[in-house]
Amino acid sequence: MTEEIEQVARRYARYTALGAVVIAGVWHLGYDLTVTLTGWSSFRWPWVALAAWVLYSAIFAVGALTLSRTSRGPGRILELALATLAVDVAVIVASRPEELLGISDWGWGSIGWIGVMLTWGRPRWRTEIIAFLSANAGIMLAAMAVAGALDRVSIAKYLVVIAGGVTMQLGYMAGCHLLRTRAEETVLLARKLAADDAWRESAQRIHADRLRRYEAIRDVAESLLTQLADGADPGDPRVREDCTAGAMRLRRLITEREDVPDELVSVLRERIDAAERRQVLVTAPPFGEHLPALPDGVREDLLRAPVRALDGARTRARVTVSAMSTMVSVAVVADNDDLPISPTPVHEASGVVVSYQRLGGEVWVNSIWQGPS
Amino acid sequence: MGQQHLAGPVVTVALVEDHQVVVDGVRSWFAPPTPVELVAQGPTIESVRGTAADVLLLDLNLNGTMVVDRVAELCAGGQRVIVFSEHEEPEIVRRVLDAGASAFIGKGRATRESCLETILEVAADRPTVTPPMAQAIATDEGPHRPQLSDKERAALLYWFQSMSKASVAARMGIKERTVRQYIDRARVKYAAAGRPAPTKEKLLICAIQDGLVRPDEVTVYTSLAAQAPADRRE
Repeated sequence: MTEEIEQVARRYARYTALGAVVIAGVWHLGYDLTVTLTGWSSFRWPWVALAAWVLYSAIFAVGALTLSRTSRGPGRILELALATLAVDVAVIVASRPEELLGISDWGWGSIGWIGVMLTWGRPRWRTEIIAFLSANAGIMLAAMAVAGALDRVSIAKYLVVIAGGVTMQLGYMAGCHLLRTRAEETVLLARKLAADDAWRESAQRIHADRLRRYEAIRDVAESLLTQLADGADPGDPRVREDCTAGAMRLRRLITEREDVPDELVSVLRERIDAAERRQVLVTAPPFGEHLPALPDGVREDLLRAPVRALDGARTRARVTVSAMSTMVSVAVVADNDDLPISPTPVHEASGVVVSYQRLGGEVWVNSIWQGPS
Repeated sequence: MGQQHLAGPVVTVALVEDHQVVVDGVRSWFAPPTPVELVAQGPTIESVRGTAADVLLLDLNLNGTMVVDRVAELCAGGQRVIVFSEHEEPEIVRRVLDAGASAFIGKGRATRESCLETILEVAADRPTVTPPMAQAIATDEGPHRPQLSDKERAALLYWFQSMSKASVAARMGIKERTVRQYIDRARVKYAAAGRPAPTKEKLLICAIQDGLVRPDEVTVYTSLAAQAPADRRE
């Protein structure tokens, strides 16, 4: 769902950018080229006008390429913007002074679209496009002043073209920006909702799991209390051991704080639960919340030997996990009499090293993974 | 309270613990002829304040409130504090040690013998490292962590994860005495690298007197007398 929404937002960004390219391209081919060719004789220097058209086309190509690749304008636009303004000046110079406001002086009405393409999607696009359009308007006004075309009719024509161009160009940019912003907001919202859902789901799962374990402990406690009420001897080592085991399990539940347990921790908890169901007294200090991400296969290699030691524990086991940003060490000490042990450390292909030791009726199995530091 | 070294054979202890069953258990551990005497107990820090005791045994979770932040205030007057809690997470152990606590005993694995041993060592201002402390010191990656040697770090980790110091010695191929030395040196280094506290100064002085470290190995300690408190941490 989130992915679909993100795809829609990406499409918005892409197609609105391509829209700007299409408008500028159609305008440049349909209008600029047509008036340059059909009004060839009306230019003072038609080759200059044609050269300006070619330069415009080159800048257009650069902009179009960037927009199609990244859906935003080029990283560096100052030189391109100045070259575009030079096109404006060139077409003005190529035109006869009396044609300044005529149809063949296509530059000043057209370069705004290149400005739109260049500034598209850039962080400061508003300032940049306004500066660019103002420069265009200023150049044209200066040209009119030089040509002495500041009469009422000329000024009116000037204002109509400027206002029309600016309205279309800025309007398109602002409209598309609004669409894009809304689409991005929707994506963020969708991501947040998806994250909330995942968190809620895992929290519910953990909560249900804890309730199940509380219930199991309650049953054990209830049976212990019934035994005591029925006259079981609190001094009896078996009764005392059962009480200790119940207290341990409760303590572990109380100190579990993480909302989403690590996969390694989950496996260990599951095996500890299984051992306790077999009446094995398990001690396990809190496993911590910041286990590093493990490469493929490391978790399995870290767990295999210690879990085997835990699964074969006769009456008691101690499970510990130590972790740093590039190290995880899992250990089990248990009265496991049957576990085959290796006298030398075993080096797994994943880099995990497993050590075994038997001492005083207990086996100590320790697997360590050291990541690249 | 508890400013001086042991005056006699009996170490006095005050206990802050809100569960009567734990109080009773601890009291039974201290029954004669142990050289430890419980002289005060109460469910809040205030209830034992003002009692002279060599060591204050402090539960971290009192009536549902964690009192980690009050450890520094307790240690500031030179009181030796041993935290006694099931919250053995390395982050919490490091916080209380940084605040000046002399030791941390995990309720999950504590036995009468280990508890008494820790209390006696702390009362004598000697370095003591319980398994939760070993894990917390070995896995410290904070900016002010002490520079532990590979062997010191390995000894701490194995001590936390194995069954005994004898098994650590067998694993490392060294004598048990050397394992103790590695672990104790790591503890002293940790005290020197942390925030200053009078209890840590006492520990460092004792470590030097006992020949565990040379004065020039404890750079923070040697600067304590000359520098302002803000400059003490390295």
